[in-house]
Amino acid sequence: MRNRRVIIATIVGAVFACVAMTGSAFAGNTYKLAISLAITGPTSDAGNPYSKGVGDYVKYVNDNKILGDDKVDCMIRDDAYKTDVTKRNFEEFLDEGIVLYMNYSTGSTLALKKDFDEEKIAVLPASYHAGNLLDSNYILLPIPSYSSQVIGLAEYVANNHKDGKAKVAMFIHPSAFGRGPVEDLEKAIAAGLNIEIVEVVEHGKDLDNTAMIKRLQSKGVQYVVCHTVQSPVATFIKDAKRLGVSASNFGEAGKMTFLGAHYTGGNDLIALAGDAAENFFWTTGFMLTSVPGEGTDFQLKLAKTYGRDDKLANSHNYTSGIMVAQVAVETIRRALANGKAVTKASLYEELLAMNGDNSYDPKTTTGPVTFSKTDHEGVDKLQLYRASGGVFKGEGAAFVPEYVSKIK
Amino acid sequence: MSYFFQLVVSGMVVGSIYALSALGFVLIYKSSRVLNIAHGQIIAAGAFITYALTVMVGIPLYIAFLLSMIITFFLAMAVERIFLRKLIGEPIISVIMVTIGLMSILDGLIYLTPFGTLNLSFPPFFPTTPISLGGVSISWTQLVGVLVTAVFIGGLSWFFKKSTLGISMRAVSDDQLAAMSVGISVPKVFGLAWALAGMSAAAAGGIIGNITGLNFDTLHAFGILVFPVVILGGLDSIIGAVVAGIIMGLIQQFAAGYLDGNWGLNGTADVLPYIVLLILLLFKPHGLFGTHEIERV
Amino acid sequence: MATNRWLATGNFFSTYKEEQRIFLTNIDRLTIWSLIAALYAWPLIFQMSNKNMLVIDSILVAVVAVIGLNMVTGFAGLISIGHAAFVGVGAYTAALLAASWGESHAILTHAWPLVILFSGLVGAVIGGFVGLPAMRLKHLYLAIATLSFQMIFTWTINFMTLFNQGQTMPLPRVFWLTGKVVRKDHYFFWYFVILTVIVMSGFAVRNLMRTRYGRCLIAVRDNDRAADAMGMHPGFTKVYAFALAGFFAGMAGAMHAYLFRGAGIESFSLHQSISYLAMAIVGGLGTLSGSFFGPAAIQFLDLQVENLSAWAGTILGSSMNLATALRPLTFGLVIVLFLIFEPRGIANWWRITRSYFKLWPFRY
Repeated sequence: MRNRRVIIATIVGAVFACVAMTGSAFAGNTYKLAISLAITGPTSDAGNPYSKGVGDYVKYVNDNKILGDDKVDCMIRDDAYKTDVTKRNFEEFLDEGIVLYMNYSTGSTLALKKDFDEEKIAVLPASYHAGNLLDSNYILLPIPSYSSQVIGLAEYVANNHKDGKAKVAMFIHPSAFGRGPVEDLEKAIAAGLNIEIVEVVEHGKDLDNTAMIKRLQSKGVQYVVCHTVQSPVATFIKDAKRLGVSASNFGEAGKMTFLGAHYTGGNDLIALAGDAAENFFWTTGFMLTSVPGEGTDFQLKLAKTYGRDDKLANSHNYTSGIMVAQVAVETIRRALANGKAVTKASLYEELLAMNGDNSYDPKTTTGPVTFSKTDHEGVDKLQLYRASGGVFKGEGAAFVPEYVSKIK
Repeated sequence: MSYFFQLVVSGMVVGSIYALSALGFVLIYKSSRVLNIAHGQIIAAGAFITYALTVMVGIPLYIAFLLSMIITFFLAMAVERIFLRKLIGEPIISVIMVTIGLMSILDGLIYLTPFGTLNLSFPPFFPTTPISLGGVSISWTQLVGVLVTAVFIGGLSWFFKKSTLGISMRAVSDDQLAAMSVGISVPKVFGLAWALAGMSAAAAGGIIGNITGLNFDTLHAFGILVFPVVILGGLDSIIGAVVAGIIMGLIQQFAAGYLDGNWGLNGTADVLPYIVLLILLLFKPHGLFGTHEIERV
Repeated sequence: MATNRWLATGNFFSTYKEEQRIFLTNIDRLTIWSLIAALYAWPLIFQMSNKNMLVIDSILVAVVAVIGLNMVTGFAGLISIGHAAFVGVGAYTAALLAASWGESHAILTHAWPLVILFSGLVGAVIGGFVGLPAMRLKHLYLAIATLSFQMIFTWTINFMTLFNQGQTMPLPRVFWLTGKVVRKDHYFFWYFVILTVIVMSGFAVRNLMRTRYGRCLIAVRDNDRAADAMGMHPGFTKVYAFALAGFFAGMAGAMHAYLFRGAGIESFSLHQSISYLAMAIVGGLGTLSGSFFGPAAIQFLDLQVENLSAWAGTILGSSMNLATALRPLTFGLVIVLFLIFEPRGIANWWRITRSYFKLWPFRY
């Protein structure tokens, strides 16, 4: 018995020694990034691919020496969507000396807002909640906020609806995450956006939406703007399809056209709803692999390099993960190029300088990332996608919603 | 008026799916007095097994559905054998805790497969056109759900009334000691109860998965969602589960149909069942059909 | 009474009063007091990182909450699946005060012990109210009634703008004799506060259980009809047990809110309620020492499993789901195995160890 213990101890010691050796043999600097997100638990269907996107891009940076001899070390932690665990992870990351932080859920972003400001560390969350930006200097949304997305969708409705005022219903998540954009959309309507919100529906865990659909129909609702996660939307549009009320093209009279913000759409929606997802209009700030381009080619290449399956390679959550890592690494690269030491402060400076000629186009998004002292939403352009033939295809050019600036 | 009838019909349809999900709880509680908190995970597992068999193996959906019920039958039996058999005679709270641990284990096992974080849906199987009658419509999936529930209830009623095994299960739930003394194997009965519960969970998973699509979060939430149903009906009453399921379905539909959007309320369908449950329990402390335990000092 | 005040060589009790003493011997007294002294002293000697201090602090908050849960579930035998909601009541009481008076109001920043106490009292009132169904309901029916409270609480917080619809409601940093407690000292400072609350609650509970008000809880748990026949009022006792649980939970909630600098609905979910139950059971239901061991064990396990899955991730590569699946899997397995092999919880090990040392060098 004693012998075995000695052997185990030696092995453990040897492993530690090896780790220590490889660490010291390495010449360049290592910059620490970190992300805490829901790899398991609620919303892990989005969090899991997101984490892989971040991880793969960081690996790519290190393998291809994008930062020369310097390396990026990104700690990826599962918090199972629990705010308390996120806070614990964040404190640990700070102890480790991270220079930039990526967060995930709306709840934890809001809960840690004050800590971000006190620590003066720039944060790129996966929650595009407009409320994140209130009273906060250090939270930077990678793409337009949910509010901007919903307003963008409403503008599209207003511009393309024939005969008169469009009657719109909203289908939202029963939480602050869902309700936030409703207020902003109401402000936009007050500022002159030509639509009418007939009803705001907060969903539960519904197995049947027949009654709700009939009610909306009797009120003359022609457009439903969804802002929640995929699963309830899937049940909703399946019911609508079954009842024969879903429009086969935009704004078909007497039928309902469904539109949704970032977390309602993507391949996941099609996977859940099947052909009921046809003609679903979805907006986001990311490029999709179904609309090939430079960014998507890169994404597919990355997925292939690291042995990801097709489903993951084509997931927009994978894209989102890659994108935040791209922004983070680019910021480090710029700080180095400008001869600054890579610190929390210098990275924050570099991020805020990311505008005008200095704006950064990661190619995985619908437009360049721009941040400034007053603009904390990175990508400003939204792309509208429409589901047809089982994939989301681009619909028109990327656009900047007008009313976003009007209600500020 | 057709709106009202639609709410009634939808409520009853949804309610019978709740009843089917609640059945597993009742079966397990009835025989072994265990509240199985991991039931939602078994529902999800049943749905994923059906999906794996249809899409990955290529078996037709209805056969896969039956096969998955058989697989979960043995799966649940194994769960009972491995985790709960050792706890016979332990205090009830430890047993509940074991099912909480079981929930974590099953979570882990499901995250091991790709299903934990994927969104999927069954291939279209039923006709997509709804069945309409006088302005009221339900989908084929829902109709099948109602039928499956009916078959289960009918089958189980027969099983408990007529078959020797069923009668011995009733005997065990009535008095374990007395049942043992007439030669009934209590552990075997517990195993069977779990197995039947697993089977009904797979059926429920198949139906719910067809309606909502396959998402682990959504599916296992039904384990908690049917708690008020089980309690309202009375923990050990099969007929109670059906009646309470339909009542809960109706309450939810009426809440969503008439309360939401008025008086600034919203999302009441998630909370009203619990409020109604609390009030009803004050008048009927053992649920609608639960057995009144006679307690002696 | 044995004449030797240091070592008990046997049972010499001649009155019930003697049997109910907290410290049977001076050695007991010495051990407990030096343990408490050590708990206060060690952070002054060893420097801990913020993260580790936060972990320890959250264990301590959970200890207070679990003491409450043990009152209702352990001592009074009423299963509560809504304990996180009671903790939430305390947190939201503090947060509401901050929202209505302004965040930097002197009572919140300077008189924070009063805020914690007040949150406890609000928790007690709500706890007693939620406990009312216990007058009529029993066993699992009651358990589900508490689950209903959890659901109603979650919905209310999520729905009402008063509670910021479940988004974080901020709480300020507090002041101490040395001035404002800044970020660097935050977790360090709260360690001492929560530890003090625990020590006080520990003695309070230990003393309570020696009085008729504590013993009636146990009597009702063991057989409420017999308790009724003995002249106790089981219904009232159950409501009172819920109120006690609510009190501790409320205090824990307020401290949680101060510690995390805000109250948000995610910290008081059903899942958290189940975690509290797990802590109480793993620690040992119906024991005071179990309330200390349980939270520590579960948190420690969680951290170890996290390390394990991180390690597995580096070995297996991220293409496998195994690393992420390992976390719930191991967590569940440990709980199940523990319950199968030690259903009476860690408190039982503690009891065995203690009696071993007490009887040493004899076996029994």
